[in-house]
Amino acid sequence: MAEYIVAQEGEIPDGDRRLVQVHGREIGVFNLGGKYYALPNICIHQAGPLCTGRISGTLISNTDTNWKLQWGFEGEIVTCPWHALEFNITTGQCLAFPKRRLRSYTVKVEQGQIKLVL
Amino acid sequence: MISINTGDGRTESIRIIDVDVHVHENPKEMAPYCDMPWRKSLEMMEEEPGRYIDIPGFAPSLRLDPPFPGGATARKIFTAAQMREDLDSMGIDIGVLFPDHLLTLALLPNRDYAAAVARAYNAWLIDRWLRDNNGLRGALVAAPQDPVDAARQIERYAREPNIIGVYLPTAAVRPLYGDTWYDPLYQAAQSAGLPVLLHSVSVVHPNFPFNLQDFDTALARHTLAHPFSMIANMVSMITTGVPARFPNLKIAFCEAGISWVPFVMWRLDKEYTEQRRQIPFLEDKPSTYIRRFYYCTQPVEEPDDTHDFVSMLHLFGGEDSVMYASDWPHHDFDHPNKVLQLPLSLEAKRKLMGGNAAKLFNLQD
Repeated sequence: MAEYIVAQEGEIPDGDRRLVQVHGREIGVFNLGGKYYALPNICIHQAGPLCTGRISGTLISNTDTNWKLQWGFEGEIVTCPWHALEFNITTGQCLAFPKRRLRSYTVKVEQGQIKLVL
Repeated sequence: MISINTGDGRTESIRIIDVDVHVHENPKEMAPYCDMPWRKSLEMMEEEPGRYIDIPGFAPSLRLDPPFPGGATARKIFTAAQMREDLDSMGIDIGVLFPDHLLTLALLPNRDYAAAVARAYNAWLIDRWLRDNNGLRGALVAAPQDPVDAARQIERYAREPNIIGVYLPTAAVRPLYGDTWYDPLYQAAQSAGLPVLLHSVSVVHPNFPFNLQDFDTALARHTLAHPFSMIANMVSMITTGVPARFPNLKIAFCEAGISWVPFVMWRLDKEYTEQRRQIPFLEDKPSTYIRRFYYCTQPVEEPDDTHDFVSMLHLFGGEDSVMYASDWPHHDFDHPNKVLQLPLSLEAKRKLMGGNAAKLFNLQD
């Protein structure tokens, strides 16, 4: 395991992301309310640059909502710009396919530095 | 060019031809190429906001739903240079250009205007997109409202080096493209050696699919009536979440054969990948649910190679969901032997000829 400094705290605005190249991999580092998450910038569908997509919420409909559409997960969903496949940033879970989850990388914040652990 | 592995340790470059890419034409760009008086119409539309693909100032696709919250944004390509750059990034050597807005051209009720817009597009496309020898090729737009004028366009541009085909706007076209109304267009394309390319777009409209009433043979009606009805209703049930809301409800589809099942299953899965958020009540892709439905064989497909039927069953797990049906005494009944003769395992025959039905209906031995 190695740690890579990818940004200084404050450089990635809340609700935004930065693309970094680490060890030959392109990784999106997301800031969600001061917590950081990192996902590979390669979509499981057609290898699109998923981390560059819109960060938003998504629609939910199930027995809990009495099958009505509700907006949820505001700010936690990234949508691949190629074909709109959605992923939960905090878990890497693909919303369309329950069995598909992106690998997620550990992010540490130490002394004002944001570090990726690979 | 894209390098592919030949399988014996070498790589080989292959040329990539992309038969369908879209330019974003807009009224302002096309106006100078348009004949009067319709040039005025295009000029008047210049500032009107256009929804992607809908002709500005006109909403022929009858999309009455709002943009769904969230999702990705639409891409548009405004210049040849931008198209070239994008195609290069994907390793595509040659791209065949089609329009965006004019995908709905067939719905324009004004014949003279539709033909004028098609002429303007063709002149604009050749002048602005096809002048450089940059790997871009174009399809002429044929206005179905005026096949004689389309034929003249084909004759006029047949020798343009970068025009390589004729695009037939197919969304809600009326009459359908089998009508002799279009013969002048076909004659011109055949003489010019240009292929015609049918291309539809997401339009459901009083013209389509209702214009199937124009079929003038029982054969044509019977070919599509049963499977189209099943497809429409399966799509409806999946996209409204019936199997999610009623997880223990058993559903069977009868008298449409079965070859439509893998087709609609894969179409729905493809749509789901991109637009899942519109049907978030599904917990998995549509095929997961479709594989749980039941299907009747009749009128059973009769491919030359009966192994193809078995392959088709395999595509959607049909060994566990397809049930023999005769439709006796109707004209297109199937004798049990027709299904028994298929090159299926004994176990599969037991299932198709009764086992699956017994499961559906909870019938004991």
